[in-house]
Amino acid sequence: MSDRLTRGLEAMRAQMDTRVMSYMSSCVHCGICAEACLFYTETGDARYTPIYKTEPLRKLWRQEYTFWGKLAASMGLSSKLAEQDLADWEELVYDGCTMCSRCSLVCPMGIDIAYMIRKVKEGLAAAGFSPEGLVEAGKRAVEIGSPMGVTLKTLQATIRVQEKETGLVIPLDVAGADYLCLLSSGEVAGFPEFIGSLAKIFKATGVSWTLSSEYFEATNTGVQLGNSKMAATLVERVVAAAEKLQVKTVISPECGHAYSTIRWDAPNFIGRPLPFEVVHIMELLDELRSDGRLKTAGFADEKLSYHDPCNAGRRGGVLDQPRKLLNMVAPNFVELPETGAMNWCCGGGGGVSSNERADALRLKVFSAKKRQLDAVRPAALVTACSNCRHMLEDGLEENEMHDIELLGITELIADHLAEENS
Amino acid sequence: MSHRAQSGAAHRRIIVWSLLSLLALTLLLPLIPYAVAYVAPVAGGVPNPGSDLWRAVREGEAGTTQVQGVDSGILINASGETWRHFRMQQLIPLGALFMGSVLALIVLFFLVRGPLRIQGGPTGKKIQRFNVFERTTHWFTVSIFWLLALTGLILLYGRFVLIPVLGPAGFGLTASACKEAHNLFGPMFLVAILMLFVTFVKDNFYARGDMMWLLKGGGMIGGGHVSAGRFNAGEKIWFWIAVLGGLVLSVSGLILDFAVFGQGREVMAISHVLHGIAALIVITVSFGHIYLGTAGVEGTLGSMTNGYVDEAWAKSHHDRWYAEVKAAGSAEHETAPVDDGSPARDGVMDTRG
Amino acid sequence: MFAQLVDGIFWDIALWVFALGVLWRILSIFRVRNKPDYSVPRGSGLVGAIGANLRRFMPRAEMVSRTRLHVVAGYLFHLGLFALLLFAAPHVLFIEEQTGLGWTPMPYWAFIVAAQLAFIGLLLLWIHRVMHPVTRLISDADDHIAAILTFVVMLTGCMALIEEFDGLRVLHRFMVELWLVYFPFSRLMHAFMFIPSRAFTGAWFGRRGVKA
Repeated sequence: MSDRLTRGLEAMRAQMDTRVMSYMSSCVHCGICAEACLFYTETGDARYTPIYKTEPLRKLWRQEYTFWGKLAASMGLSSKLAEQDLADWEELVYDGCTMCSRCSLVCPMGIDIAYMIRKVKEGLAAAGFSPEGLVEAGKRAVEIGSPMGVTLKTLQATIRVQEKETGLVIPLDVAGADYLCLLSSGEVAGFPEFIGSLAKIFKATGVSWTLSSEYFEATNTGVQLGNSKMAATLVERVVAAAEKLQVKTVISPECGHAYSTIRWDAPNFIGRPLPFEVVHIMELLDELRSDGRLKTAGFADEKLSYHDPCNAGRRGGVLDQPRKLLNMVAPNFVELPETGAMNWCCGGGGGVSSNERADALRLKVFSAKKRQLDAVRPAALVTACSNCRHMLEDGLEENEMHDIELLGITELIADHLAEENS
Repeated sequence: MSHRAQSGAAHRRIIVWSLLSLLALTLLLPLIPYAVAYVAPVAGGVPNPGSDLWRAVREGEAGTTQVQGVDSGILINASGETWRHFRMQQLIPLGALFMGSVLALIVLFFLVRGPLRIQGGPTGKKIQRFNVFERTTHWFTVSIFWLLALTGLILLYGRFVLIPVLGPAGFGLTASACKEAHNLFGPMFLVAILMLFVTFVKDNFYARGDMMWLLKGGGMIGGGHVSAGRFNAGEKIWFWIAVLGGLVLSVSGLILDFAVFGQGREVMAISHVLHGIAALIVITVSFGHIYLGTAGVEGTLGSMTNGYVDEAWAKSHHDRWYAEVKAAGSAEHETAPVDDGSPARDGVMDTRG
Repeated sequence: MFAQLVDGIFWDIALWVFALGVLWRILSIFRVRNKPDYSVPRGSGLVGAIGANLRRFMPRAEMVSRTRLHVVAGYLFHLGLFALLLFAAPHVLFIEEQTGLGWTPMPYWAFIVAAQLAFIGLLLLWIHRVMHPVTRLISDADDHIAAILTFVVMLTGCMALIEEFDGLRVLHRFMVELWLVYFPFSRLMHAFMFIPSRAFTGAWFGRRGVKA
């Protein structure tokens, strides 16, 4: 057996748990999961069927945990999981899946397929079958502290620009602040006004907050790659930074998987509860709204809709908060069809946007998003994830949908803060 | 002689003669019809009240009985013998002859003419002809039809073909089992036929070009190109035979299957006759359909198994439909169909599994 | 001879294999070590587990148009089959003989209706499985054997309605025995496994405050 296969098998064996055993015994091959997956519905390619993407894990389960499978394997009657299988599945799992979990919500047997795809990635990553772009991003995340290579210097420069634009101080390394806000590199590089918006809102609402110069990265390439060790390393950095600044709560910024990682998966990566609470920026804003501290004035009059980032909404549970916030400032807020927990993925999450090989595919499957937008024709689309926003930009550009403006929800709120507060 | 003496004796004489006359009349009057019949006999020979009664019984005239039920006033169903004669002496042998000769003709045609090849050979480029639902409906109908046809043919021909093989006891068991299965699947066939009808009817109405197609024999004799839409005239004829035949089978079958709604023996016999004739017709025509869909015309089977046909096949057999599909395809964006598999990436069809 | 075996020792074997096999399959999912979840829940996992078990019986609104055949044919088959299994008069009598528990069977016309619906559902589902490119890709021998075996059990059952021929009843019972022995090692286990699977997923999403 080759070294790569050995590593892959070992990594996947370590991922076997009761949930996987139960799921594998439940699948009746009905194919309903495919009907929920944009990679199947927009291409018609049956290989993107979600449960089919977990085939390496299924084969391992079958040959090591089932009666027929063990019997057949021992008699040489079945094809055991081979290195070629791992190689063949790289494209299906990394290019053709964002782990958006839409499939997990529709399976009649209740199988959380996305959960298992994450586990398949552990095997593929350990065996060295991961896309180059994503592997490089992971290296940068570990070595530089940002998958996009955003250094502290870049951050500091960005902070200075924001301070100038807002006339406010952006707190850095303020020990004892209530909130530590993480940032995604995508925000720092692409949508830095997020930082200024935070400053405006927190000043108006009297929230004590800070950024950390020691570690600021919210995203976790280990999660996207399928490398638990890397994921744990990156989480520990957040924990260290938060502990150093003795904050009570860590804010996860406008990012999808950053939230689901730090809020839900992080304690399990490091094997202990987190010494702080975690909120998505939208959760905090909504809290401020409901206790009266956040007051807005004026409205964004245009017809606008909201795109739920998969990992914040469906997998994270932050579904009501954006609606409550938008209802404050957008009288013409119209829901997209098939929204909320069943929103269609933008196509760029789960590491797909870091994988150049998947560019053509993710643009092709954007037709699902286009269908939603065509049904409503909003003038603006609001979202709460910088990666979604980049992907949406690419998709709208590709489809020449120039009349739809993309907005970040925090910036939208900040632009409508009531005078007496700002 | 005195007046009194004469009236006493006369009185007695009147009474005696009156009584004797009454007695004679009582005894003689009923004999008059017999005397008349004897003198001028009725056709049918010697009159016998018993035979008249039984003649009426045998002719199926309904009498009155205390038993409540359909047909219970008819002791002997005279037409039953007619029906039995028809089934054994006409339906069975003529049906076998009909099926056998059509089958033989098809085999002969195949041996002489050979399969119709795709003109110019297949291009390797495929277009979708039938979607998942259409194919599912078709094979759903096929599977029920085959089960019914098989069990039905065993009920009709089994005694000749299977008793030598299974013996009378074995055949008894088999035929009874087939009867149960036939009765069970019968109602489902109506559901299937209705699904088939709804799914395919819109392209099966008469269209311009159908008559020309028929006159040219569909190009099967002598070759040559014949224009057709999504379905050619031959397919349309098969559709309507299948649907109408199927409805006759279903309705007559339901009458036979659920004999608790007041059907009398006459109704049952007529239903059976219609059922048998319709079955033999539909089965026989299906031989042609199956032949043309498999060995008879190259490239056709794929349309119903995976839904795709070669573009050359489409151009040569259904040129008007092919033109419509091409026109619609170029007008749309490059988005693949949502409900089922278009060819996988690289234009190569994904037929794994 | 064969009938005696079918009515005797085969039946016992089939029942024991079924019972022990199902139990073992269910318990065996717990024989791997599981890591605890250290995250702070937003909602109740238990409520989510129960909720998912109930909610997943019907498709979500967004999926209705895409899964019509699955849902309609699926329910025709399953409901028809359960009605036949539990309320067909021959079965009610059989269960009463075996266990002492009896109840009112359904009338004959209801039996016919249930059988029709069950067959229509099963045939449509299996044919659809073969026709649809997704299920054609992911289906394996197990899927087809399970469907065909179930079909044969149902067919022989209906044939056995002719009580004059005990051979048909014996055939049906033998098919049932094969089905029972096949069950624990096959796709048919979904009949039990959907409960823990829905529960795990429902709990996972429930902790996050999402209705799954």
